[in-house]
Amino acid sequence: MRRLLGRGGLVLASVVVVVFSIFPVFVMVGTALDPAANAGGRGVIPSGISFEHFGRVLSETRFPDYLLNSLIVAVVTVVASGLLALFAAVAVARFRFSGRTKILMMILIVQMVPMEALVIPLFLQAKTLGLLNSLLGLSVVYIAFSLSFAIWTLRGFVAAVPVELEEAAYLDGASWWQMFWKVLFPLVAPGLVAVSVFSFILAWNEFIFALTFMADDDMYTAAVGLRTFFTRGGTDWGAVMAASSIITVPVMIFFVAVQSRLSSGLMSGATKG
Amino acid sequence: MSSPALGSARRPWLLLAPTLAVIGILLLWPMVRVVVLSFQDFGLRELVRGGAELIGLQNYRDILTDERLWRVALPNTVVFALVCVVLTVVVGTLVALLLHRLSPGWRTLVMMAVMAAWAIPAVTGTYVWVYLFDARAGFLTGVLGQLGLVDVATQNLFTERGWFYAIATLNVVHHGFPFVAVTVLAGLVTIPSELPEAAMIDGANAWQRFRHVTLPMLKPVFAIVTILSTIWDFKVFTQIYLMPGGDGSNREVLNLGTWSYITAMSQNQFGLGAAIAVLLTVLLLVITAVYLRTLFKEEEL
Repeated sequence: MRRLLGRGGLVLASVVVVVFSIFPVFVMVGTALDPAANAGGRGVIPSGISFEHFGRVLSETRFPDYLLNSLIVAVVTVVASGLLALFAAVAVARFRFSGRTKILMMILIVQMVPMEALVIPLFLQAKTLGLLNSLLGLSVVYIAFSLSFAIWTLRGFVAAVPVELEEAAYLDGASWWQMFWKVLFPLVAPGLVAVSVFSFILAWNEFIFALTFMADDDMYTAAVGLRTFFTRGGTDWGAVMAASSIITVPVMIFFVAVQSRLSSGLMSGATKG
Repeated sequence: MSSPALGSARRPWLLLAPTLAVIGILLLWPMVRVVVLSFQDFGLRELVRGGAELIGLQNYRDILTDERLWRVALPNTVVFALVCVVLTVVVGTLVALLLHRLSPGWRTLVMMAVMAAWAIPAVTGTYVWVYLFDARAGFLTGVLGQLGLVDVATQNLFTERGWFYAIATLNVVHHGFPFVAVTVLAGLVTIPSELPEAAMIDGANAWQRFRHVTLPMLKPVFAIVTILSTIWDFKVFTQIYLMPGGDGSNREVLNLGTWSYITAMSQNQFGLGAAIAVLLTVLLLVITAVYLRTLFKEEEL
């Protein structure tokens, strides 16, 4: 294998992939730190390092409010979809009832419905129910779109918990709900972490519903709030990139850490022998 | 199986009730509603007062006879999606093959960079590409200028349909290749190393080994990454809408997703917008169905 693409070739190809992959993030953070970001030069190497754009974005604009809105929506989405999905996962993994397979199939199929196709009816529905310009209204939509994946993932985690553990709890006199909170819940916590990462990222990054539901600029989420830096007078690129970095980098570090662990586990498991 | 958990026949339904309510109200009912809307004359008046007149297939007739569909929105959707899918799958597969050959240290390094590309939100990623191709300050506009491909002094790339979609393609491929790379890599590590080695002893070159050993063994993996990429690239919205002119101010760059949205939200023609959304969804379903069919037909042979 190594004969065709020698060591030098592998290194060169790796460098190309790394540069291509991280180029946008490099430009984003570099421009955010560049004091001359709005001077109109064509460079991507910062002319210096300064936090003035971050300072301006965090103290002179509405962006901190937008960050808080995003955080509230994401946390409500994570908690509610995690709980609802756990209830549903227990129902389909632990009980045998008629209609169980049909419900599982329906949950799988609704996952394939594109979010974008439902913007128009959901906008009209939210308007009727008075849920426009409301963080709760937006969260409810994200809960709906993250439920399906969460249920299918948690179902596996619930099924992996031995039934004997539940029965031991009942022998000790626990009711079903006590067993649920004291035995099942702690044991499926790793699964809850996995689905929480997914639903947090969905809610944090989502654009089209956040744009449609929030007409009032008090209620913008961070992703939509970036638009306020584009004005008729021109674009404040330093501010756009500083705010983008604040949105992107923490989530990216989190994601890279989680995914690398998942993938390295996958690789070490599969390449044995 | 005599635990009290199974004592109550109502408990699973109790546990499922909130989920079924959310899915029913927020996913199933809107699916019905969007189809109903597409048969209605639903404008600003209906939005305020409620009630809407059924007008049969009029919305669909309006769209199908609109030259904007055939000349602008459909090509911008279909050609763009096909190019993006092919490039995403090819780039992702090449990166997977590279990752497969690297030593663990290098592999971790490259993998982390690829993950970073995956983790960039569509919104902020799009703004970076817009900045890089900006007429006044763009680094890549400057590079294209020095290559003689663009006249930096007079040209704004975003106003030209070809350049607009070339930039969008770069954005979407950059965002999409990591998923393909990671999934194909997961498939590659399941192929026993004896197979390509045996092929090599038989004198097969790298392309022949890929074509006759790797590709047939990973057919289900390629099927899934191609189907998912097709679905994602057909309904691209954010990456187009956020580029200069993509929000409807430049009618030449509309695709089905942005056309539907702008028709409904900016022009308050909710029925017409819904009809475009239904058309896009049907197109997506047909393509997925045809693709799955060819796949299963080949399996039978």
